[in-house]
Amino acid sequence: MAKVKLTNVKKVYDNNVVAVQDFNLDIADKEFVVFVGPSGCGKSTTLRMVAGLEEITEGTIEIDDVVVNDLQPKDRDISMVFQNYALYPHLTVFENIAFPLRLRKTPQAEVFEKVTEAAEILGITEYLNRKPRALSGGQRQRVAIGRAMVRHPKVFLMDEPLSNLDAKLRNQMRAEIILLRKRIDTTFIYVTHDQTEAMTLGDRIVIMKDGYIMQVGTPDEVFDHPDNLFVAEFIGAPKMNTFKTNLVFEDGQYYVTPFGAKILVDGEKGEQLKKQKTKPQEIILGVRPEHMVLAKENEGFKCEIMVNEMMGSELHLHVSTNDDTHLIVRIPTIGLTQKQRQDLQAGHKFNVTFQGKVMHFFDVETEENLLK
Amino acid sequence: MAKKPVSQKFKSRLSNGLIYAILIIISIVWLFPFFCLVCESFRCESSHQVGYIIPKVWGFDNYINLFTKTSFLIWYKNTFIIALFVSVIQTLMVLTMSYTLSRLRFKGRKGLMNIMLILGMFPGFITMIVLYKILSGMGLTGANAVPGLILVYTASSAMGYYVSKGFFDTISRSLDEAARIDGATRFQVLTKIIMPLSKPIVIYTILTAFMGPWGDFMFAKYIAHNTTSGMNVAVGLQNMISTPSSLTANYTMFCAGGVLVAVPITILFMSLQRYYVEGVTGGAVKG
Amino acid sequence: MSEYKEKHMNLFKDLSDLDYLRLNKIQALIYDLIRVIKAVPKWFLNLFVLAAKYIKKFFTFIKDEFVDIYTTFIYGDWKTKLSFFVMGFGSIARGQIVRGLLFLVFQVVFIVYMCFGGVHWLSKFKTLGDTYATTVYDPKLDTYVRVDGDDSFKIMLYSLMTIIFIIAFVWTWRTNVKQNKIMEDILKSGRKLKSPKEDVESLLDEQFHKTLLAVPLTGIMTFTVFPIIFMILVAFTNYDAAHDGYSNLFTWVGMTNFNALFNMNVGSDNLSFAFGEILSWTLIWAFFATFTNYFLGMFVAIMINKKGIKLKKLWRGILVLTSAVPQFVSLLYISKMFANNGLANGLLMELGIIKDISQLIKFWGVKDIARTMVIIINIWIGIPYVMLICTGILMNIPKDLYESAQIDGATVFQQYTKITMPYMLFVTGPYLLTSFIGNINNFNVIYLLTGGGPGNPKLLTSGGGAGDTDLLITWLFNLTTGAESKYYLAAVIGIMIFVVVSSISVFVYNVMPSTRNEEDYS
Repeated sequence: MAKVKLTNVKKVYDNNVVAVQDFNLDIADKEFVVFVGPSGCGKSTTLRMVAGLEEITEGTIEIDDVVVNDLQPKDRDISMVFQNYALYPHLTVFENIAFPLRLRKTPQAEVFEKVTEAAEILGITEYLNRKPRALSGGQRQRVAIGRAMVRHPKVFLMDEPLSNLDAKLRNQMRAEIILLRKRIDTTFIYVTHDQTEAMTLGDRIVIMKDGYIMQVGTPDEVFDHPDNLFVAEFIGAPKMNTFKTNLVFEDGQYYVTPFGAKILVDGEKGEQLKKQKTKPQEIILGVRPEHMVLAKENEGFKCEIMVNEMMGSELHLHVSTNDDTHLIVRIPTIGLTQKQRQDLQAGHKFNVTFQGKVMHFFDVETEENLLK
Repeated sequence: MAKKPVSQKFKSRLSNGLIYAILIIISIVWLFPFFCLVCESFRCESSHQVGYIIPKVWGFDNYINLFTKTSFLIWYKNTFIIALFVSVIQTLMVLTMSYTLSRLRFKGRKGLMNIMLILGMFPGFITMIVLYKILSGMGLTGANAVPGLILVYTASSAMGYYVSKGFFDTISRSLDEAARIDGATRFQVLTKIIMPLSKPIVIYTILTAFMGPWGDFMFAKYIAHNTTSGMNVAVGLQNMISTPSSLTANYTMFCAGGVLVAVPITILFMSLQRYYVEGVTGGAVKG
Repeated sequence: MSEYKEKHMNLFKDLSDLDYLRLNKIQALIYDLIRVIKAVPKWFLNLFVLAAKYIKKFFTFIKDEFVDIYTTFIYGDWKTKLSFFVMGFGSIARGQIVRGLLFLVFQVVFIVYMCFGGVHWLSKFKTLGDTYATTVYDPKLDTYVRVDGDDSFKIMLYSLMTIIFIIAFVWTWRTNVKQNKIMEDILKSGRKLKSPKEDVESLLDEQFHKTLLAVPLTGIMTFTVFPIIFMILVAFTNYDAAHDGYSNLFTWVGMTNFNALFNMNVGSDNLSFAFGEILSWTLIWAFFATFTNYFLGMFVAIMINKKGIKLKKLWRGILVLTSAVPQFVSLLYISKMFANNGLANGLLMELGIIKDISQLIKFWGVKDIARTMVIIINIWIGIPYVMLICTGILMNIPKDLYESAQIDGATVFQQYTKITMPYMLFVTGPYLLTSFIGNINNFNVIYLLTGGGPGNPKLLTSGGGAGDTDLLITWLFNLTTGAESKYYLAAVIGIMIFVVVSSISVFVYNVMPSTRNEEDYS
């Protein structure tokens, strides 16, 4: 357990490609932080710099107030779980997990105790004498976790550990990692490209793009208050609907005017806009699919259903507006009448609206959230 | 009328038969010279070249004469000693170079590989002109050709790293990283993780290093420089039949010598050929 | 209208991908050919651009180095400044004693060497010696005794060593300066330097590459780099058996040797003619040797690998057996087999094909027969090896490629030509290049089979004696070991071999493999 502090960390490769730009983050002791973002955003590179597998071009990384820039991985007291498990093929499961202990010349009795303890927690005791090639993907992943946890490291690093597993196994392992975290109770840094994993596992999420941090926050924070358009569209599935529209100020109130409609910005967000005296301007408006509701004939704007996906407890309607913008609207099936259910098929036209509290306003050029 | 299905089977039987015929011819052609070699080595009625294969008088005379009348034993011993030392030293050189280039990252790594590539484009033999002078000045030529040759063979052998590097490249680098995070120094990564996984390439390298000196002619001849006691088997045997008169006198002894060299090497190679194939196809062909 | 357009499509213009698909096979071929020809001048231009880029990079590098040295001095502390004159001082003063001592010792050794030898040898380098050895009458021994003069060989040897030493010293000094800067930077940012113990320990970790490479690189430097540089220098002298530096001085002759090689003067001492002949045969030989082995070996591998052929191990085993035998045994024996009174002729006589001695086939005595024979024998030597490689690859071709083709209706033959062959060609392509270059320098096969013969009078006069099957490398060998060794010529030929090999390599890497195919088989 330790706190990790990254200050102005920058990584530039030999061919002048900047992988990580000015990364600043304070990770508290025992916090579970997730780095998430699309491929190439720099999340793995940052993790590897914390691990000591990549040289830090600029900036410092401290673990427990000790600058570790010049320390070799073995001297940083960290553990890492790799995406492809990286198990030693010529050693048994037992020896794989024991490897770090043996390097530190731990006495045999202690080795046995620690390895079997880890194996029990992970449910792999019966495989201790097998070699990695005789195990399935999920079992191998557990061995990799076992090897990482047996030393009780200060920081526990995980580099896309679930990416190589199939969907069902991934869900299962996600739950197990949450349980694991409760048992090990140390500082975790977890890298993934899957926003679901980030949202379910992280105490805080760091969203990255092209080497920059786009936002740091708890899952709630990044979901409800995305700092910019990228975060807004990245978090949440299906992705948030975003479209250009105008923010206008009339009679002391703010309105947005999408697709020929005029919708009042009511509630807190309306008040905030008034307080900030936000100028009326063209904006990018974001509304999540689940926040769009069926409207009456004279409310909101009209759209036509292109595709209707029946998801069981919800309907995902892929609709098209009057200027051919494609949106997704999620409607819980439970509130629908029989007639409504029959109507909501491809080709059907209906009205859609939303409230002020679910609106997100983004500057057209900077893509920043207007209400920070 | 539909095509009878039999014709496909017949076609395939015919082509198979053709292939078997070709293979049999190939086998005969390829084995023929050795068959003749062995036969002629047992010929006792004459020691010069003749126009028939099967000896009229069989016997071990040639073999006996080889050991008593020539320095064959010395050449054999020389070559064996050289091969032994070379197999150890060269393996160490080649494997350290290929491991370093494969897994360690340092400034100048690419430059080093490029320089070795360019150096390799010079014919290796031109280095002999200088090296011979220096080595003879140190007394490592002529009668002392053995240590001189060992030095020549092994000193630059690290330049032949391509095949073994190709092999090391196939081992996933995340194994190294996991070990280093677990607490291993790079030295321990080499000894505890990489080496146990490298048995095929180690055997391949030792095998090729051992077999090399048995067949070298150029360098061995130059360094031995007409001193019989410093020759290896290739130079010695070639020397035995290098003039028309010596050819007439020694031809069958030469055959015997050839057999004595060929048999152990062939047995060695055949028993380890699996590793040879693994090494060659695993590394060399990837370019 | 569209038909007309199709038939008269201008193949000289660059076509879009879609238009390219319209062409029939012949048109496509012509189009590809035109494009290759059009690409050649562009390729030359690219070469110049690349060369210019590297030259610019080099000068920028030099400039940056000087700027760095200057700033290190100006902004460095007194320890750094002193290190400019006493190497290693900065390291010792900051606690890294081992490093510092190494630098210091090196500097001392260098200075001592330069004083006691270096300067002396370098001074003679320009002339390679001007004092001939003389004989002086020694009254005590009552005979003429040799008084040594200059030894050109020694001068060149030691001068070269001195020059390399100087370069090494400059580089080490620069490293010393650089390290001072790094040390200052680390200390300034609050971090600590490694203690001597940690520094040594890191030789097994961060600096492990230095530990591992120390011995191999030393070997390569001494036994390859140094001799090659020496030989390049020799090419510009007249060093031969008669002028070997000890008994008689040799000296610089500039480009004389190279001029002789390329001068087309027809005379009795026509070096360039010999060079031209031998070079062309070397290339022809390499071409045939490589491609016959390649395609025949692949063919044999495919044959043996075919489904339905039994005893695969036996067929392969027999061929592998023949390649296990040391080459010199096979080559020498076969060489004698086809001698004028050898086994081959003898068998032909027994079979009645030849009636009497005058009809003996001079296998090695007639130019064209000898040349054909070496190629054929080389096939015998090479097929097992190629077959081995191809077999390994054949077994790795994904089965579903064939299954998919079968469903699409491909015959067995079509499967071979459209799946097996392209795959093999792609994977073993690089091997072809190395094999070709290897054959250019294939000393054993030629020398042991024919010794380079049959002798060619036109080639004999050009010094060193060359024959009709001589390669550049065997010619080089003779020039080095013959009675009249002409080392300078050997050096020149060595350099020419380098030029040939590197040109071919560069050409193949840049012009042949189109990046189109790279990803197909990954």
